[in-house]
Amino acid sequence: MNPGLALPAWQLGLPSFPSLNAPETGALGIAALISTFIFILVFIAISFQLLHETAAAMLGAAAMLLLTYIGGTGNADLAIITFDEAMAAVDWNVIFLIMGMMSFMAILAETNVFRWLAIRLYQASRGNIWTLIISLLLLTGITSALLNDVTVILLLVPLSIQLALALGIHPYTLVIPEVLISNIGGAATLIGNPPSTIVGSHIGISFVEYLANMLPIVIACTLAVLVVVWFLYREELKQQANSGSTTLLEKLRLDSEIQNRETLLKAIAIGLLILIGFVLADQFSNMPPGVVAFSGAALLIALVRPDMSRMIREVDWTTLLFFIGLFIVVGGMETTGAIQWLATRIAVIAGQNADRAALLTTWVSAIASAIVANIPFTVAALPVADYLTQTISGASGSGIIYWGLVLGADLGGNATILGSAPNIVAIGLLAQAGYRLSFKRFARDGIIVTLITLALASIWLLVRY
Amino acid sequence: MILCATRGGEESTTTQNVATQLAKERGETLALLYVADSSFLDKSASVLLVDVEKELSKMGEFLMTMAAEKAERAGVKTKTVVRCGVLRELLPQIAHELGATTIVLGKPAGDRSRFNQHEMDHFVEQISSATGAEVILAG
Repeated sequence: MNPGLALPAWQLGLPSFPSLNAPETGALGIAALISTFIFILVFIAISFQLLHETAAAMLGAAAMLLLTYIGGTGNADLAIITFDEAMAAVDWNVIFLIMGMMSFMAILAETNVFRWLAIRLYQASRGNIWTLIISLLLLTGITSALLNDVTVILLLVPLSIQLALALGIHPYTLVIPEVLISNIGGAATLIGNPPSTIVGSHIGISFVEYLANMLPIVIACTLAVLVVVWFLYREELKQQANSGSTTLLEKLRLDSEIQNRETLLKAIAIGLLILIGFVLADQFSNMPPGVVAFSGAALLIALVRPDMSRMIREVDWTTLLFFIGLFIVVGGMETTGAIQWLATRIAVIAGQNADRAALLTTWVSAIASAIVANIPFTVAALPVADYLTQTISGASGSGIIYWGLVLGADLGGNATILGSAPNIVAIGLLAQAGYRLSFKRFARDGIIVTLITLALASIWLLVRY
Repeated sequence: MILCATRGGEESTTTQNVATQLAKERGETLALLYVADSSFLDKSASVLLVDVEKELSKMGEFLMTMAAEKAERAGVKTKTVVRCGVLRELLPQIAHELGATTIVLGKPAGDRSRFNQHEMDHFVEQISSATGAEVILAG
């Protein structure tokens, strides 16, 4: 079946569980136990950075495949996932979407447009620090919704640190709210951050449908963060009386010129085409977003004609291998029935109540995402969300459990430093400027914002669905 | 030449002040060194499309300009150096290049530091023997 032409499984009410080796209830088989053990090892290695994320996911996938072919030859009970099943477990739409957007972003980032935009916002604020903060936060939120959030943080945070220092304010005042807004903004679209992409692609929803479901709550959460930021930083910013160092601000202005106008114009034109493509994709046999992003990137490469060997180096293949490895590891848990076993137990707790199941999914996802890496969690939680959606009456029509998963994984990432990749990257950037942001200091803002936004998300889920 | 390896920011204030004071007393030029180290991203599979070292270098230039402004206000002649890599590998080479007679480094800041005291002592010994310069730990 052509997945691009298929309706989402949750809309059709189709079973999506292979459930090959294990019964729905009762004891887990040996393959299910081993696959769960491998997944937990991968999960710990990723969450606590014991190993490079890509290496951990690849090792996990390799272990499951080798065990299937070598161990499974003598003992069929050890077969976890075959090569064909592994390939089927990979969501290639996600891989193509990330690859396409990465190529686009790699070209766009070289034009210095983010720095240019941020400095223009500073100039437009005419020295009003609150106007500057709000406009920078909105810039972060909007760009995180449309482009990769880690890249946005890598480009905006160093500049924000410099801007804060030039204006005589503490860098945390700009950087922490930027990270919080970036995680929230990423939930607005299918391409904003990995949990959104993974869930959106899995349920086969269009860009516009996804936006219609998420944009209102993302706007509400953004407004809530602006209020929280005002409340937390108002006294600190009152003390910022100087208008900033003119020498330093001039240095920032000089560093903020657009590097290659022609490339920028081409990138903007293609970016708009990609957006239009996302919007119109469901008019063309439900064209997957991965096809739109990949085609846009191919067109941009043809127009800009970058050094291809350099371009290949700049596309971050480790990310793609990370996702492929992770999909295979979770696929192994699915084929052995380990996830189905877990899902049936969660279904018992949720009962036959879609609202309760959605809220449970949201808050459990948020707590998990605050403690461990949200990408592997989301991939592992998807089959559970499938099961709950298919078995709980009232859940399949609205997709409420999937929305709970997206909101929980994205918003929960704000609670702690470890919650999401943008947090970790921003902490590293701050440390490079001599500001070591502690776990406790980040959590002071992060937990408040997480609780408020999750409360808003819970109300949204109950009212909207 | 006095060489001060610093990141800027609140943690470096004491180190920069000590180096500035020393340069003033001795009438020497103060070289402010920032090393853009992107190794904090080494274990992440996040999409890294940006030339991180370029962005960090820009930030380093800015931070060193700030530090230089402050030292010059105290009447010290300065020079800023920004490099990409790992400080412990680059420092001896840069000290040689600049002909540094004294190197000022920040003391480890407890649990939050990248070095513990033992590692720092070892590093100081290494730098001292590799460059022949006096190494001062500030803070």
